[in-house]
Amino acid sequence: MKGVVFNILEDMVVEKGGVVLWQQLLNRAGIEGSYISVDTYEDAELFKIVHEVQQALDIPLEEVIRSFGDFMFSKLADRYPMFVEAESDLFGFLKSIEPVIHLEVQKLYTEANLPSIDCTNGDSERLVMNYRSPRKLCILAEGLIQGAASFYKTPIKIEHHVCMHRASDHCELSISKVND
Amino acid sequence: MTEELELYKQAYERERKARLAAEEVLENHSRELFLKNQELEASLLKLKTQQDALIRSEKLATLGTLVSGVAHEINNPLSFVHSNVDTLGQHSDAIAKLYPLLIESLSVGESERPAFAERVFKFLEKEDLEYFTEELDELVSDTNDGVIRVKEIVRNLRSFARMDAQVRTETDLNEGIRSTLKLINNQISPGTRLTLSLNDIPLVHCNPGEINQVLLNILVNAAQALEGQRDPKLEIISKHDQDWVEVSIADNGKGMSKEIQKRIFEPFFTTKDIGKGTGLGLSISYGIISHHQGELLVESSPNKGTQFTLRLPVKPR
Repeated sequence: MKGVVFNILEDMVVEKGGVVLWQQLLNRAGIEGSYISVDTYEDAELFKIVHEVQQALDIPLEEVIRSFGDFMFSKLADRYPMFVEAESDLFGFLKSIEPVIHLEVQKLYTEANLPSIDCTNGDSERLVMNYRSPRKLCILAEGLIQGAASFYKTPIKIEHHVCMHRASDHCELSISKVND
Repeated sequence: MTEELELYKQAYERERKARLAAEEVLENHSRELFLKNQELEASLLKLKTQQDALIRSEKLATLGTLVSGVAHEINNPLSFVHSNVDTLGQHSDAIAKLYPLLIESLSVGESERPAFAERVFKFLEKEDLEYFTEELDELVSDTNDGVIRVKEIVRNLRSFARMDAQVRTETDLNEGIRSTLKLINNQISPGTRLTLSLNDIPLVHCNPGEINQVLLNILVNAAQALEGQRDPKLEIISKHDQDWVEVSIADNGKGMSKEIQKRIFEPFFTTKDIGKGTGLGLSISYGIISHHQGELLVESSPNKGTQFTLRLPVKPR
């Protein structure tokens, strides 16, 4: 997992609970916790910290991951504004993830282990995203999509019936625009 | 404590800001490096394509030299073969008439003999057959020699025919020297004293087409250096010394300064006028000899001459 994910998790915990909480969570997870955005770290370390966050907040793990995804989107948009500036609407942005964003990441960091994302148009109001990754972080993907929707001010609902956690080889996220 | 905690928090924020700034710098540099790398790869591809085109052009130039040499070499024997066959043709009618005269002579009576004899003498004189029969042996033998020469030139060409093939075989370099000389004979100034000291040398494991290309290149350069020279000399020596075979080609032509000697194996370096040569001949030759794990050396002195020495291992490692 690229260090930027760890940095953003730290930002979220520090924003909501302070530096002291973050240090406490690292101590409980038994992790030193020095991360730079451009390096790569073990996935297991992230999962250990997320587990401690869930324990500290006492909310279901799915909710922790989903809200982390939402938070992560706005931080990534701050760090890399060129990707959001290139697309004027939510569906355009989501379709650019694989061919543009992931491609740019692969060019600079060849060891980046990115999920495979492909989008197909349902119609102008609906987009279907197929997600494939050995990490099975589809809930994080849902959170990121929600973050993108907030950024583009496009209220949506996500239906997730086909899932790798339910014996499928991919997740199918059906994203529909919702009228206010 | 609260104030101290507040100061620690500020320190934490400051360090975090510095780390973010450093990461941004790092990412920007990575992006720049990536783009520069792409540009370099594109340039390299372009250069390789251009290099391939120039090497092809050099090969065509070598072929051009061969073709003009071969055309000249074949023309010489062909022209006297043609002349001899023409002479034979001119007398073939007369020769054909001799046979019926011979048959007639068998049935000529005693009283008709003098008249018959006079007829035969007049015929022989008119057709100049006495001179023709004296020259006939030489005509046939010269014609035969000419045809053999043409056959040999064609045989020698075959050693150049597979210049592109990567096949290496046990090769007689002396044979290569002889066949290359025959093909570029017309390029050597008339009156050049050519000395061949081709000693007994072992067969060398090499690509004969490529080695002949190197020999051709050096000999053509030597021939050009001898143009306009008084008393031109060209000496070729082959010898061997343990596991190495050495061929040296020396001329007493214009020679080269030390500065030019240092650069002659550089690609595109040439002392010829623009448009007269690609400047790749010696560089390709150097490359061929290097790939054979050999050495190509040069020694030269202005107005004294140049010697190229080719050293090849009998069996490359």
